[in-house]
Amino acid sequence: MAISENQIADAPATHYGRLNPNTIVGAAFFILALVFLYYIIPNYISSPPFMQHPLLSPKFLPQVAGWSVLVLSLVLMVSGLRVPPEREPGDELRRGVSVIRQGLMVAAGVVYAFFFEQLGAIGSGVLACVLLFLASGLRNPLIYLLAAAFPVLVTLLFIYLLNVPLPAGELWEAWF
Amino acid sequence: MENFSEVMSLFLSVDNFIAIAVGVLIGVVVGAIPGLTATMAVALALPFTFSLEPVTAILLLVGIYKGGMYGGSITAILIRTPGSPASACTLLDGYPMAQQGKAKKALKTALYSSVVADVISNVALIFFAAYLAKIALNFGPPEYFWLICFSLTIIVSVSGSSVVKGLIAAFLGIIVSTIGLDAVYGTQRLTFDNYNLMDRVSFIPLLIGLFAIPEVIDFYTSKVAPHIRTAVTGASLTWQEFKASLKTIIRGSVIGVIIGAIPGTGATSAAFISYSEAKRTSPRKDNFGKGEVEGVAAAEAGNNGVAGATLIPLLSLGIPGDVITAIILGAFMIHGLTPGPVLFQENLTLVYALFCGILVSSVVLLVVGNAAIKYFSLIADIPKTILLPIVLMFCIYGAYAVNNSTFDIGLMLAFGILGFVFNRTGIAAAPFLIGFILGPMFEDNLRRTILISKGDPSVFFRGPITWVFVLLTVASLAFAVRRYWVTRN
Repeated sequence: MAISENQIADAPATHYGRLNPNTIVGAAFFILALVFLYYIIPNYISSPPFMQHPLLSPKFLPQVAGWSVLVLSLVLMVSGLRVPPEREPGDELRRGVSVIRQGLMVAAGVVYAFFFEQLGAIGSGVLACVLLFLASGLRNPLIYLLAAAFPVLVTLLFIYLLNVPLPAGELWEAWF
Repeated sequence: MENFSEVMSLFLSVDNFIAIAVGVLIGVVVGAIPGLTATMAVALALPFTFSLEPVTAILLLVGIYKGGMYGGSITAILIRTPGSPASACTLLDGYPMAQQGKAKKALKTALYSSVVADVISNVALIFFAAYLAKIALNFGPPEYFWLICFSLTIIVSVSGSSVVKGLIAAFLGIIVSTIGLDAVYGTQRLTFDNYNLMDRVSFIPLLIGLFAIPEVIDFYTSKVAPHIRTAVTGASLTWQEFKASLKTIIRGSVIGVIIGAIPGTGATSAAFISYSEAKRTSPRKDNFGKGEVEGVAAAEAGNNGVAGATLIPLLSLGIPGDVITAIILGAFMIHGLTPGPVLFQENLTLVYALFCGILVSSVVLLVVGNAAIKYFSLIADIPKTILLPIVLMFCIYGAYAVNNSTFDIGLMLAFGILGFVFNRTGIAAAPFLIGFILGPMFEDNLRRTILISKGDPSVFFRGPITWVFVLLTVASLAFAVRRYWVTRN
């Protein structure tokens, strides 16, 4: 059911405006689908010189999926423009969140993604846990003992009980 | 008799019993913690199964699945926060009961209904899976092609509030599933000359990234919500009350079994159908929604009746019935097993050992569920500020353990960011996973059909089985379109 211009203009604060998640996501996927279809598929999927049937082509399924995303994202974008979606109750919780809190979470992610082998499973686990406890504003020093205890326990669980090897840490190996 | 002793020797292992108990316990605990889901728990437990025997590994995951189904109802009843979508129906009567000081009665009703439904569902699994697998032995690539098409219609039911968004996620999942070397020609597809991507995108980092990491990111990008504490109080369920609800429980279980056996229909619809059927036939229909024992029993019987039945299409046809069984399918593959009719031919003892374990899991659920009611406050009072850093640590270690590669950690975090974007924009992650799993099956069977028929399209309609699946696919799509219009209007 279409909504008139006036209805959109008079939309209560419980609704988004025209620039809403649906239009943004629709536009983003539309552009990505175009890039995928016209740049990535031609350059990063190679087809053999001879094929028995066009449906056997390695490009067939990615092309079908790419075109489907293109059409569906257009539908999403148009529907977002015509009928702005309602705001969710959780949106309020996401406003005004401390940058430090978010930055410490990103720092914990960086520790795991880039220093896991250098610091080892225990070292990176302790550091990331401390960063995340700080992000939550925990002040009890005893809690920080958990940040040291849990990585040790979980690492030992993986290595000795489950026979899954985890890195000891190149940095420590070089020192000792 | 020889087979029986083989099954028993495979099943009667201490490891299996520990796996079931630990699995159910983890499931109930995770389900009882608001914000954590059974899907997340199953995904996180997957790396732990690498070194386990296949039966032990699958039983651990099935235990978590079943425990999680019940655990979700605890938070639904006590704090009006369903631990899983399927528990949403339980809160209709469960929460009013808790407010009236009958929390213990509601939780006991949910537990006993869940256990009875679980047993009925398991018995159905044992009887029907083998029969269906026998029929599936006649399937060739064209039949499987249509079966996969039918299964792809699952996407509509797991799309959440927007089918369009769900379909976008599914096609993105299909695109990601094509990364790697082409199975027929061996040419590179979307690998960007990175050797880590030649052997396809690893399943476990994708899974953990999509279902566990977004919860962590969401927590640290939101203000801390106040921690709600609640107590389990009031009288317990009496035998008379249980007996009065038994008919409803059995009816709900049967509804759950039928719905669970159809891929994609899911526990949520089973719970609501069971509930509305109970309300329609109950002499106390006016009390429904105000704190009726029968209402809780109907909802829980409906959603737990699905648990065993979703394993019917998985074990007999190799088709996941929902997201958790899609993860369990991945566990089978990690252990070198392919669910489907061939599993019944080549690993019959393993299948029956699994059945024994699944039956035992119902008894374990009863014991663990009772303990969970008693010690609920200890479970639910673990603050997320401490819990989520540990969850993240499990995610990282689990992703690394797949190939001992930091590339997989990066991959998992990338899928985590994608899952977070999905969460924030109302896109369900489940269709992405279904697309990722079914995409290669679709392509493989399409190509095999074309190769065996030398391009003749009539092979796609070669017999009654293909026509049955064509009709099922069309009917499923028509039903989805109808439901979409009804919901929209």
